[in-house]
Amino acid sequence: MQAVANEFKIPKENPLAKPPLIEGEQSFSTLTEAVSVVVEDKTPRNWYIAFAISVLGTMMLGGMLGYLVFTGVGVWGNNQPVGWAWDITNFVFWIGIGHAGTLISAILFLFRQKWRTSINRAAEAMTLFAVACAAIYPGFHVGRIWLAYWLFPLPYNQGMWPNFRSPLEWDVFAVSTYGTVSLLFWYVGLIPDLATLRDRATTKMRQMIYGIFSLGWRGSNRHWQHYEVAYLILAGISTPLVLSVHSIVSFDFAVSKLPGWHTTIFPPYFVAGAVFSGFAMVMTLMLVARWALNLQHLITMYHLEVMNKIMLVTGSIVGYAYSMEFFMAWYSGNMYEKFTFFNRAFGPYAWAYWTMFTCNVVSPQCFWSKKLRTSIPFMFFISIVINIGMWFERFVIIATSLHRDFIPSSWGYFRPSPVDILTFAGTFGLFMTLFLLFIRFVPVIALAEVKAVLAHQQHKAHGHAKH
Amino acid sequence: MANTHGSYQIKSEVVNRAKPIMLGVAVLGWVGAIIAYFSNHDQFFSAYLFGYYYWLSLSIGATFFVMIQRQTQAEWSVVVRRLAETVMTHFWVLVPLFVPILFGLHSLYEWTHTEVVAKDKLLSGKSGYLNVTFFTIRVVVFLAIWCFLSWKLYSYSVRQDTNGDPKETKRAAWLSAPGIPLLIISASFASIDLLMSLQPHWYSTMWGVYIFAGGGVSFIALLILIAVWLRSNGILDEVITVEHYHDLGKLMFAFNVFWAYVAFSQYFLIWYANMPEETSFFVNRKVGSWLGVSLLLAIGHFIGPFIILLARGTKRHPVFLPVMAAWMLFIHAVDHFWIIMPVRNPNGVAWGQIWMNIATWAAIGGTCGFFFLTRLSKHSLVPVQDPFLEESLEFENA
Repeated sequence: MQAVANEFKIPKENPLAKPPLIEGEQSFSTLTEAVSVVVEDKTPRNWYIAFAISVLGTMMLGGMLGYLVFTGVGVWGNNQPVGWAWDITNFVFWIGIGHAGTLISAILFLFRQKWRTSINRAAEAMTLFAVACAAIYPGFHVGRIWLAYWLFPLPYNQGMWPNFRSPLEWDVFAVSTYGTVSLLFWYVGLIPDLATLRDRATTKMRQMIYGIFSLGWRGSNRHWQHYEVAYLILAGISTPLVLSVHSIVSFDFAVSKLPGWHTTIFPPYFVAGAVFSGFAMVMTLMLVARWALNLQHLITMYHLEVMNKIMLVTGSIVGYAYSMEFFMAWYSGNMYEKFTFFNRAFGPYAWAYWTMFTCNVVSPQCFWSKKLRTSIPFMFFISIVINIGMWFERFVIIATSLHRDFIPSSWGYFRPSPVDILTFAGTFGLFMTLFLLFIRFVPVIALAEVKAVLAHQQHKAHGHAKH
Repeated sequence: MANTHGSYQIKSEVVNRAKPIMLGVAVLGWVGAIIAYFSNHDQFFSAYLFGYYYWLSLSIGATFFVMIQRQTQAEWSVVVRRLAETVMTHFWVLVPLFVPILFGLHSLYEWTHTEVVAKDKLLSGKSGYLNVTFFTIRVVVFLAIWCFLSWKLYSYSVRQDTNGDPKETKRAAWLSAPGIPLLIISASFASIDLLMSLQPHWYSTMWGVYIFAGGGVSFIALLILIAVWLRSNGILDEVITVEHYHDLGKLMFAFNVFWAYVAFSQYFLIWYANMPEETSFFVNRKVGSWLGVSLLLAIGHFIGPFIILLARGTKRHPVFLPVMAAWMLFIHAVDHFWIIMPVRNPNGVAWGQIWMNIATWAAIGGTCGFFFLTRLSKHSLVPVQDPFLEESLEFENA
C-alpha cells in the first residue's frame, strides 16, 4: 500500500488532523493511575455531602411511593380526562435518558468513533440507573405493586394473561430486554478494568471483591480475543435496542386514535428525542465529574464539542418532527388534528409547548457557533435547558392530547399534586445515589479502551515522525 | 505493486467502451418513452415520474453520503468519495428532465383538476399548498438547492486535486453542516409534493423519511457497483480494497434496516389504528396483483437482504456483494413502482405497460450514466490531494 500512497503525493503534515483524544504526555501507567485513584483514594468530603443529599432524595421517593401504596393512585393529580400524566411522562423521560449510553456504547462503537471510550462507561451506567428510575412508574401505577409480576405472562392457575395486543405489554419486554442487555454490555466492558483494580488492591477485602467480579481475568491473548468478540456481538445486539425501546414507548401513544398521539413519524422522532435528552444528561454529569475527578485530559474539549454537535443534530431532528407534525395536521384536513395542534400551541398549555420548543429546538441551535460549543459554562447551562425541554416534550404530548377530548363538556386541566412533584424529585435522588456509588466503586472511564486509543495515537504520531 | 501513473485516472479505452453502451441505453430508452407517450400518455407520465424519481432519489442519496463524509471528516471513505461526488452531479441533468413532468401534472395529480377540488372539501382545504404555481415554485427551489449543494461540493473536491489546499476540505465541511438539514427538508417536501400528493387525500408524517431512507440504501448499492465496475477493468484495484467493500456493505445493510424500520413503523401504526383516511394507501396496494408486489417488497427489500447481508463474509465477497447491490437497486425500483403505479392502475399491475417504466427508467438512467462517464473522465477518480487519503488507503476493519 505504501507504494500507492507515495504515488499520490500526500502532504506530510496534515493540517486538518483531529485533535488527540488524550491530552498531555501520557503512558499506560499514568492513565491507570488517573482513573484508579478515583476509586482508591480516601472518599472526599464533597462526595459525602452529595451522597447525603441524594440519599435524602431517595428516602423521599420511598416515602412517597409508600404513601401511594397505602393510599392509592389517587394521591397523584391524574384526573378525568387526563388519566395519564406525570407517571408516564416521567417514565418516558427516564427511559429516554438511558439512550445516550446505548448509542455511545453500541452505535458509536460500530461507527468506529474512538472518542466514545472516554465517556461510554459513565453513560452506560446512567442507562442502567435511568431504567431503574423509569421502571418505578409503571410498576407503581398498576396500583397493587405486589401484583406487578402479572405484567409478565406467567402460566399460573388463575389463567390470567396480559393483553399481548397492548404496546404497554410490549414495553415490559422491550424495557426488560434493554435493561438486561445494557447491564451485560456494561459488565463485559468492566471486566478488564475490575481486574486492574484487583491487581492494584492494597487490602485483602478489595482484592477479594474485585477478584470475584473480574471473573478470573488474566489479560491473556485468549481472554482478549473472547472479550473482543463478546463486545462486538453485544454492540450488534444493542444497536437495534436503541431504536426498538423508544419506538415501542412511542407506540404506547401512536397506536391510539388520539389526535396528537397517532402519527407515523413517532417512532424515529421519539428515538431522536431520547438520544438528545440522554446526551444532555451525560453532558451535565460529565462536566461535573471531569472537574471533580480531574479527568480533563481524558474528557477533553474535543469530546465535549462532539457531544454538543450530536445534541445539535438530534435537537434538529426533533425540530423536524415537530414541524412535520404541524404541517401534516394542517395538510390532513382533519379538523381534530388541526384543533389539537392549534390547541397545543395556543391553548391552555401554550406555556408548556413554547417552553418545549424553545428548549429543544431553539437552544441547541446555539451550538452552530464554535465559541458557544466550546464554552463550558454555556454548554452546562444548555444541557440542563435541554433536559427541561425534553421533559416538557413528553408532558406536552401527553397532557395536551388528553385534556381536551372529543366532548367539550368533559374538558379539563391537569395540575400535579405535591406527591407527583416529590416523587419525581425523588427519582433524581435515586439516580444520583446510584451514580455516586458508581463513581466511588467502579472505574468511571473504560481504562482498557482508552489505553487502546492511546496506543493508536502514539503509533500514529510515531509513524508520522518517520516520514 | 507496480502502479502506472494512470491508475487513478480512468482509462480512456474503458470510457470509450462504456460510453456507446450507455448512449445506446439512453437512446433506446428515449425512443421507447416517445412511443409510450403516443400510445398512452397517462400511463407514460406515471412511468416517467417513476423513472425520474428513481434517479433523483439516488442523487439525493449521493449528496447526503458526500455531506455526511465531509461533515464528519470520515477517513475510510475518501477513496470512494469522488465517485459519489460524480453521481451527485446528476442533478444538473435532472433539472431539464423535470420539464416533461410539468406537462404531465394534469394527468398525474388529481389536485390540479379545479373542478374536482371545488367539489372536494378536503382538497379545497389543501389548495393553498397543492396548486400548480406553488408546486412549480417549490420544485424549482428544491432543484436549485440540490444543484447548488452538489456543484459547490463537487468543485471544492475537484479544485483540491490541482491546488492541494486543505482549506477546500474545510469549506466542504462548512457547507455540509447547513447542507444536511437543507437537503433533508427539501427532499422530504419533494417526496410529499411529487409522490405523496399522487393520492392527495392521504398523508403520513413519516413519508419524507421513508423516501429518503430508500434513496440512501440504493445509492450505496450504486456506489458498490461503480467500484466493482472500475476494479473489474483494472482501475483503482489497489486503492479500493475489500475493507472499503466491507464498510460499504455495512452501510448498505444498516441503511436497509433503517428503511425497513421506517416502512414497518409507518405500515404498522396505520394498520393498528385502522382509520379509513389513512389505511387507503395500503388498502389500495392489496388489490389484485398489487398484494404480490407488497409482499415482494417486504421480503425482497428487507427480510432477504437482511439475512444475506448480516454475515461478514457476504459483505467482503467479490461476487455476493455486487449481486446484492444490484438486487437492492432492482428492489428500489419495485418500491417506487409500488408507490407510483397503483394510482394509475388501481386494479393490479398493468403487465402490458411495464415496458414504459423500463423505457423511462433507461432513458433517464442512461442519460445520467452518460453524463456520469463524461464527468468521470474529466478528473481523477480519487481526490488525490485529500488530506485524509493516506488514512483511507491504509484503512482496515479491525
